[in-house]
Amino acid sequence: MTWVRTKLELERLAAGETLLVSCPPGEALENVPRSAREAGHAVEVDGTLIRIVRA
Amino acid sequence: MSSSRRGFLRDIVAAAARGVSPEQAPAPPPLLTEDEMERYSRQLLLPEWSETAQLALRDASVLVIGAGGLGSPVAMSLAGAGVGRLGIADEDLVEVSNLHRQHLHTIHELGVAKAESAAGRLRAINPEVIVEAYPVRVAPENAVALVETQDLVVDCSDSFATRYAVNAACCLAGVPLVEAGVVGWSGLVMTIRPGLSACYRCAFPAAPADAPSCAEAGILGPAAGVIGSLQAIEALKLLTGTAEPLTDAFLQLDLATLDVLRVTVRRRPDCRDCGAV
Repeated sequence: MTWVRTKLELERLAAGETLLVSCPPGEALENVPRSAREAGHAVEVDGTLIRIVRA
Repeated sequence: MSSSRRGFLRDIVAAAARGVSPEQAPAPPPLLTEDEMERYSRQLLLPEWSETAQLALRDASVLVIGAGGLGSPVAMSLAGAGVGRLGIADEDLVEVSNLHRQHLHTIHELGVAKAESAAGRLRAINPEVIVEAYPVRVAPENAVALVETQDLVVDCSDSFATRYAVNAACCLAGVPLVEAGVVGWSGLVMTIRPGLSACYRCAFPAAPADAPSCAEAGILGPAAGVIGSLQAIEALKLLTGTAEPLTDAFLQLDLATLDVLRVTVRRRPDCRDCGAV
């Protein structure tokens, strides 16, 4: 569900705006950056913080 | 879909229930709830899908005509997908010979009106959907009244007379329509945007004189499942705008050979159903 919530939050942003997602270590921390990149967004991961710039 | 007749009606009903006028009623929540996010998460994950698409479904009102072999996959798919208001029209009663393909019904509903049986099943699939049962035969006399308040009609009937009546009513009311037919191992699907694309009568100006019914020629259960599922996909495309529907053409499928034929159809200026639309 983390990527679903993230995807919907990204849809509400304008292109170029940034979304910060805090994820505990685990599956979501691996899946969310990968899914965000596959969707064409720019992604940086710093520990448990994921920074996504909407494409 | 920029506005919704169903959303408007929901506001009226909700306001009446609270004893306030529609003008005083607060607007419905514009975003998906947590429960909706979870229920629809597998389709929300699709790149083509979005919260906007899901909200369009939630605000949509769809009438499914026929709760049989085609209507079963159509209605169950649309209820599961989150169409906000779903009407289902059928005058027949559930018979045991229906059950090999009409998965809306079970042995527990034998003798029950199909529309009522279907409504119960659809509410169980998705309690968030407002389901309305119409245990009536759709005919020229009542077709316009039934379709004119809908955002979309999906015709799952099993007679040419009903198909032409529904087509004419949808053209008159300007309501998009997904048509289909299935018999034996084969079927066809066609999507109609009145005034914008060819209608059912443009494709088939007159009913064939010798077309057998399912009761005469038989029908393979999964054939109805495939064709009905294609209708449901077309309906979801029309309601959400997530993909281009099959307009100005019909798709003919032979499920014995798995041959698929796409036949282009042009609007007929002299079409008695859509020529003046």
